[in-house]
Amino acid sequence: MKISKKIIDNLKLGGVDFYLSVPCKLLANMIDILENDNDVYYSAVPREEEGMGICAGAYLGNKFPCIMMQNTGIGNSVNAIVSLLQLYQMPVVFLISYRGTPGELVGAQGGMAKITEDILKTLRIPMLHCSSENDLEKISTFSKHAKVVESPVAILCDFNLMKDDT
Amino acid sequence: MNRFDLLNKIQNILKDNLVICNIGLPSQELYQINDQPNFFYMLGSMGLSSSIGLGLSLSQNKDVISIDGDGSILMNMNTLATIGNRAPSNYTLLIIDNGSYGSTGDQRTFTDENTSLKDVAIGAGCKNVVECSGDETANEISKAIDDKDNSYVIISKINSGNVKIDPIPLNPITIRDRFRKYIGIVKYL
Repeated sequence: MKISKKIIDNLKLGGVDFYLSVPCKLLANMIDILENDNDVYYSAVPREEEGMGICAGAYLGNKFPCIMMQNTGIGNSVNAIVSLLQLYQMPVVFLISYRGTPGELVGAQGGMAKITEDILKTLRIPMLHCSSENDLEKISTFSKHAKVVESPVAILCDFNLMKDDT
Repeated sequence: MNRFDLLNKIQNILKDNLVICNIGLPSQELYQINDQPNFFYMLGSMGLSSSIGLGLSLSQNKDVISIDGDGSILMNMNTLATIGNRAPSNYTLLIIDNGSYGSTGDQRTFTDENTSLKDVAIGAGCKNVVECSGDETANEISKAIDDKDNSYVIISKINSGNVKIDPIPLNPITIRDRFRKYIGIVKYL
């Protein structure tokens, strides 16, 4: 819970006040925290691409949105990222559980893991890769950066960082 | 009645509300009929008009109308479940259901065969699901806007067919900023 709390605290410190998630077991503690937090909006959403649309609307309405998802969700969302969030220059934080990185138990997650960072690079999305607890302090500044550059940004949280956060 | 006729008939209701308008011909027609700063024209991301409007209605208090199409709803059908569980009372989804992919050459959609978006919306948990003719649509939108306690899904059954029209000349940042200025967020314009 310590890691998850630190991530949410830093997102909130960065100004993020509207959260969606397509669940992942590595995100479960963060979802619990947000469901009990009356200061911010939180909802589950069935599909990441749809979440990109809801985040765009939330930005138009003056919220600073974050969508939490597995890295597989990036694959589901490429057109929405490019032809909505980037076309209209909308700041949105992607908080990504980086499935398929070392420690992962499900071999099939390895495929998307191998190409996740290449996809984000191709999309020119700034990335913050968190592999240890010390990295989490960078999340607040990195989130603010999304607003400054009017762009989606991606925070990748490694499997091994999240797996023991009970 | 086709989409252009319908948009003409409802323009007076739309002009006083925040409108998210679907990509392609719906946006181009609405722009030509009566462009307003409070109209957000989608230039990409087919399928997400309902979702953008939902996020907007959750984030501020003004009434929001998402104008969507049958083809776009079929592409993002999970949106109806999200709306059925999360839509606030200032949200109205208008699905212009002409049974065809209008912007790509009027190919038939599944609503022209076996699919009922009314039944899907009800099954997904949406309240106040109304299916109506083009002539009844203005009245149904007015009722939805006047009801301050409930969200609505209005499915307007009209004929397919398009008018010849030009692309929207606005750039995306102009669309974004004049829209946010109307809401009161952007101050510098």
